[in-house]
Parts: sequence; structure tokens; C-alpha cells
Amino acid sequence: MIEVRNIRKRYRMRYVLQDVSFTAEKGQITCLIGMNGAGKSTILKAIMGLTPVKSGQILIDGQPLGKSVYEKVAFVPDHLTMPLGMKLSEGLRFMADFYDSWNPQRAEELIRFFKLDTKERIGNLSKGTAAKFNLVLGLAPNSEYVLMDEPFSGIDMFSREMIAEVFSSELIEERGVLLTTHEIGEMEHLIDRAVIMRDGKIGMDFDCEQVRSEEGKSVIDVMREVYLP
Amino acid sequence: MNTGAGWEDIVFNSRDPVYLQVVRHFKELIVTGRLDAGQVIPSRRELGAKLKINPNTAQRAYKEMEERKLIVTEGNSPSRITMDDNVLRTIRSELLGEAVEAFVASVSKINVPVEELVELVKIKYIEAQDDVSGRTVSEGGGDKHD
Repeated sequence: MIEVRNIRKRYRMRYVLQDVSFTAEKGQITCLIGMNGAGKSTILKAIMGLTPVKSGQILIDGQPLGKSVYEKVAFVPDHLTMPLGMKLSEGLRFMADFYDSWNPQRAEELIRFFKLDTKERIGNLSKGTAAKFNLVLGLAPNSEYVLMDEPFSGIDMFSREMIAEVFSSELIEERGVLLTTHEIGEMEHLIDRAVIMRDGKIGMDFDCEQVRSEEGKSVIDVMREVYLP
Repeated sequence: MNTGAGWEDIVFNSRDPVYLQVVRHFKELIVTGRLDAGQVIPSRRELGAKLKINPNTAQRAYKEMEERKLIVTEGNSPSRITMDDNVLRTIRSELLGEAVEAFVASVSKINVPVEELVELVKIKYIEAQDDVSGRTVSEGGGDKHD
């Protein structure tokens, strides 16, 4: 379980995160939803230790952040962070050298799933293809959790469908997934839990099926309530 | 073209629980004869991939169907559609009842004498049946876009 407890962060005299607490369970897909600037990406970066927080605590399976977090939690940032001159095959090799948890078999499976050509140069990839390769890098390690920052944004419909398919496949298996999005639409029936953020605060945190069965509301309905009360 | 029982023919609405929509989809497949009594159904994981839903949701749908005796799982063998005629009959009358209720609800606004309505339903229904059988024949001819 990833536990975020009362984290606060200030940036230029303004709180970008105010007392944020939530959990993301293993074996579940948790989605941080909110408009641009709500603080979603900042939370992912904070979990990965990429940005300092002013106060609060982040625990991964009960342990505070440490070096081992990078083997246990994979992060798929909103853009590909690989040298552009590398071929995809070299990029995979680079990851394999870097991470003990790298699973070459799964990497191969993912490359096939997304129909990528490993002889291609990273710098020549279209936006959608780069996003797919980015996911390959994030999903191939045997990490227990995967964080994804806006995996669907700015990507064409067919690539989005393909990426969405990953979530119902065994590539996710028993892992815990925490992703952010500002357009929940097509993801709505794929996620277990929704955490709606607004202005650096949690507006609502709920089990999607429970809200559908008890209140007959869609995730978008709840989001409207948070944003347009 | 779709292969098999037409698993993929489902569009989820966003306000009903997804697992219940999956259960309903199964009932429709059974009633329309696309799933037979005793037929082996996909594993939870396969269903998740086919319907593009989260494996937890597929799991929950199967649990619900097991509780309602729609499917049976014995030991380690794959789950199957029930052979119990009572259950199968209940599903059929349940779906039929719901469809008729919806029809009546929308028609009763028009305030039409029942005899006229029944006659109209009869004509339309026979037409529709002819249409369906006609279409199956032409599809058999291999033309995809008819």
C-alpha cells in the first residue's frame, strides 16, 4: 500500500498541496483526477522523492521513502526521459543495466503488445509511440507499484485504446497502479478508486463501484459536485 | 467480424455498477442463445481483457453470478453456465419482463386501446423477425456491409 499522510508543499508563497492524505492499494487501480494545476503530478513526484514536501509522510508498504523505493515503485512520467539518439533496443538495455527489478521477458512482451520497432531511434518516435515506449519502460520492471502521470494526454484515439487495454491485461497483474488524468471519460469503468483533487486538496476519495451502486453516480457526476458545488 | 459469443458487444454506461452490467450482459448472451447451458466461459482474466474491464470487476461479476447460480465452478475446472432449467427460465422471464415493462411505460403515454396495440406489436414483431432471418442469410453470403 502507498500511504500519503498529510503532505503539504509550498511553492512561491502558495500551497500547492494542502494536507493531502490518501492510500493506493496493491491490486487496485487508483486514479488521481483533477484539472490542470490541481497538484496531481506533484503528488506522484513527491512519492518518488523527486520533489521535497514541507511536512507530512509518505509510506510504501509501511516503509518511509528510501533508495529501495525505485525498485519497488516504477514511475512513468508525462514525457519520455531517454536520450533521443538511442535506439529503442539500447533504451531497454540501459534500463536493464540500471534496475535490478527489470524483467526482459515482460519488456519483450510489451514491445510486441504495442507493436514497437526496437531498431527505431527514440528521437524519431511520434508522440503516441513515445508514450507507448514510455509505458514499456515503466511496466517492464517487476515493481509492485506503477505510477503514471497522464498516460493518455495528447495521444490519438487508437493509441489510447491500446494503452487502456493494458489496464485490463495481465501486464498489470497484481500490482498497484496510481495514475493521474484530467480527462476521466474512457477510463471511468477501468479504475477501482478515484481521488478527486482541487486546488491542492482532496475533494473526494471513493470506490467507484460503490458510488455507482449506492448513489447511481458516475465518476464525472462526483467530479462535477466537487468542482461546481 | 466478431468471433465466438459476442463478448465484446457491450457498451458500458457510467452510472450503473460495471459488475452488474457484466452480469446483465451474460444474461442477454444466455437468453439470445449465444451462450448455451453448460458452456465453459472465459476465465476472469480473459473476460477482463475481452470486455476491457479491470480484473477486480470481472472477479466481482463472477462472484455475483456464482451467488445467483448463473454459473457454476467445480473444483479447479473452469466455470460454466448453469444447466439448471429453473435458473435459465427465470433469466428469460426476467429479461422479457423488463423489456415489456419498458415498452408499456413508453407506450402508455400515448393512450392507445390494447387491441390496437397488440395488433401493431404483432405486425411489427413478425416484420422484425423476417428482417433478422433475411439478414442472417445475406451475411452468410459473405457480404460484410449490407
